[in-house]
Order: sequence, then structure tokens, then C-alpha cells
Amino acid sequence: MSFASFCILTVSLLMIGFSLLFSANIDLMIGDIESKNEVIVFLEDDTTDEYIDEMKQKLKSTENVSSVVFYSKEEAFEDLKADMTDAEEIFSYLGDESPLPDAFKIKIDDLERMSSTLMIINGFEHIENVKAPYDFVNVLTGLQSVVTVVTVVLLTALLVVSLVIVTNTNHASVDFRKKEIHIMRFVGATNFFIKVPFFIEGFLLGLLSGGAALLITWLGYDRLVNVLSEETTLFSTLGISGFIPTSSFVTYAAILYLLAGTLFSSISTVISTQRYVKV
Amino acid sequence: MVELKNASVTYSNGVRALEDVSLTVNDGEFAFVVGESGAGKSTLIKLLLREVESDLPEQGQKPSVVKVNGFDLNKLRPKEIPMLRRTIGFVFQDFKLIDNINVKENIAFVLRCVDAPEKYIRKRIYTIFGLLGMSEDKLKCYPHELSGGEQQRVAIARALVNDPQLIIADEPTGNLDPHTSLEIVRLLKDINKRGNTTVLMVTHEHSLVQKVGGRVINIRQGKVDFDGVI
Repeated sequence: MSFASFCILTVSLLMIGFSLLFSANIDLMIGDIESKNEVIVFLEDDTTDEYIDEMKQKLKSTENVSSVVFYSKEEAFEDLKADMTDAEEIFSYLGDESPLPDAFKIKIDDLERMSSTLMIINGFEHIENVKAPYDFVNVLTGLQSVVTVVTVVLLTALLVVSLVIVTNTNHASVDFRKKEIHIMRFVGATNFFIKVPFFIEGFLLGLLSGGAALLITWLGYDRLVNVLSEETTLFSTLGISGFIPTSSFVTYAAILYLLAGTLFSSISTVISTQRYVKV
Repeated sequence: MVELKNASVTYSNGVRALEDVSLTVNDGEFAFVVGESGAGKSTLIKLLLREVESDLPEQGQKPSVVKVNGFDLNKLRPKEIPMLRRTIGFVFQDFKLIDNINVKENIAFVLRCVDAPEKYIRKRIYTIFGLLGMSEDKLKCYPHELSGGEQQRVAIARALVNDPQLIIADEPTGNLDPHTSLEIVRLLKDINKRGNTTVLMVTHEHSLVQKVGGRVINIRQGKVDFDGVI
């Protein structure tokens, strides 16, 4: 019975641990994609160099703006030419003078507040146009909210289900020893005396299960990340730099597993023994 | 000593298992509690062990008295119940020996439950075994290696080991043949005489009671129907 409790508890802990890791990795990926966001602020043609410098300072000091890079019209024209190598004829008509406007490339810290930030920027003088990836941002922030809600719901459900399963398995384990408990009660053992061995057993079982779950997570996650990391093309296309490294979470995982394991097991053992020690 | 006055027990489903029961069993006395199935014998045991409580008095009724070995069970707090039970030795019909430990450990189990020192436990087991006239070889046996009569003797040893003031034997001969049953009753009588231990033996075997004789308390439909010596 103890082996059954150990297996159930280990599997429950693994489900919780892996769902947390999955959610943390999704968060990291969204963060990666988020950091690639770029808003382009196009300036009017007649904007002076002095005003461009002033504007750069104003943008830098604007809240929620993480970086500001000036993108001159000459630079933009060169980049366009490099991108469109088969349109040399068209460019020859245009001559050397860039038809494109000067611009600033800025990055936003918190995408959820992008609209309010851009409203402030739009209020600055000499702004021709602001081009922002609204659809992309909406999808990202929506995805992030969904991931958060799903994680919370999933974790709550897993916690409840795990506690119920572990308690039921312990019920069977305690039931197996109900004769002992029955005799203990009849000979005058205190409830504390009856419960303590079960509590200690539960605690040790929790420690063992926590340790096993930690080991499986450590080895399993490492291998999984290695396999997934081979898919470099897909992830670089999506702008994802990688996964959370095992070394960065192993301490937290150890604390979580050992704490949750011992807590789960001890609580459920106390619940299981409770019905037999009622006077 | 057991003292009951106007004790009634009604279960949560409305069944009144004991009604206005009054009886006294003095220290060192031996009494049979007899009655048909469902008469209220088990409820009487539960009441004495404080597994159930007596009903609160209804209007115009006298309050009940339930006293066992100096404990007033109507005033007993839940955390004091183990102390009451340490003064009672209980013998079950189905012996209730723990299968995966030997006889010695089964008897020691009781003393370990009440935190007795190991030195005392070792000494006490041999004393009790000698008292019951059992061979010490049996101490290493597991319950399944013993006959029914031997298992019940071990169960009696277990009830005695904590030196109780009162032994309650609930149908101790229920699973035994007539010859062994008589031996067990005589053993309980012997314990009662030698150790001045009060013994309440619950049984529905009238023939056995008639053969041995003594005080008989007959319970019928939750009431004491007869209390006297036969």
C-alpha cells in the first residue's frame, strides 16, 4: 500500500511540476517574442536635426519605452535597396535622394499598455505616422492571459485531484491497519499516539516521492529540452531563444517537490486516520 | 466498579438501545451479561467504554449516572477517554490479534501503546504468561500457528497485561468449541478470584452460564430483565 501511495504521490507531483514548467516556458517564449516588438515613429520631412535630437530624448524619457534608435531616411533607403535587389531599375529613376522619411525604432516594455504609450508619442510635434504591430500585440497579450488562466485552473484542479487520490490511497493503506488502530483505541492509546506513526510514515513517504519526482524532472526535462533544442529553425523563426535551463529552477523544484510531497502526504494521512480515532 | 443509574442510549437513527438501565458491579465481582442478539449487550459495552454517551435526561426524568472504575463517564472529556480505557481490559469475540507479529509482540503492543518502559514490558509478559499457564514457547508463535482456544488465551493475556481493574469479555467463547469455551470461562473466573479483577462477560450461551453459575444480568429489549445469582 505504501508503494501505491508513493507512486500516486510521485505522479501527482510530476504533473504539478511539469505543468508549472510548461507554463513558465510558454511565458518565456511569449517574453522572447514580446521583446522583438518594434514600433516605428515616422517623422515629417521638414524635421530639423535639432528637433530630432530633442525628440530622441523625449522618447527615451517616455514611460514604457525601453529603447529608442534613430533610423535615418538614408539608412532606410539603403536597407530597402538591399532587400529589393531585383528592383534596381526603379531605384535608378529615384536617384540617390531617399524618398523615405526619417524615423525612430522604439521598443515597448509592457505591450498591454502600448496603446496609451503611443497616444503620448502621437502627441509630439513633427510626427508623420506611427506604425505599430497592434494585431500581433493583441494576439500575444491574449495568449498570455489564456496561458495564465489555464495554468491557474489546471494547477488548482491538479492540486485538488492529487490530494483526493493521495488521500484515497492512504485511506486504503490506513484501512489495512484498522485492526491495529482498533486495538490501540481499546487499550487506551491517545489519538496523538495513534496518529504519530502514520504522520511520520506519511512525511517520509512525501520526502521519498518528492525526491523521486525531482530526479525524474531533472533527467526528463533535460532530455526533453535537448530534443526540442534540435528544432532550431522553427524556434528561431518564431523568435524564441530557448528554454528555461534545468540549473535555474532545480533549487525551486526541490523546495516545491519536497514541501508539497511532505505536506500532501502528511495532511492526507491525518485525514485518513481521523475517521478511525473518532470517539 | 461499575455503577449505572437510569442510563439510556438512543442512536442517531432514533433506535433506543438501552432504556433506564440501573446496575452495580462491585470491585472483584464476576458477572455474566446475557441476552438475545439486539437486546442491547453491545451498547452496554460501548457505554462502559465511553464509545457512546448516555442520553440527556428528559423533562421530569432523573439524570443518569454512569461510573466506571472511578471515572464519571457523563463528565468525562474526550481527551480523558484513553485514561478510562487503560483501567479496562477488553477481550474480543474474534480475538483481534495482529497477524504479522508474534504472540510476545501482540501482548507487548498494549504496553507500548501506553508508553510503558521496555524493561517492564519484558518482565510483565512472562509474568502474565505464567499466570495463564501457557508455555513460553508459544510466545514466538504467530497467531495463525495457534488454535482458537490458544488465541483467545493470548487475547486474555493481552487484556490482563496492563493490570486492569475491570475486564470486559465480549462473547469470548463465540468462536470456540464447548470444551474450550468452558476452559476460557474458568480461566476468566480464575483471574477474577486471584487478582480480584472485576469481570463482565457478555455472552448469549445460556448453557455455558448455567454450567458455571454466578451472577447473571439479563438484558431484554434494552432493559435489565433479570439480575441475580443462578
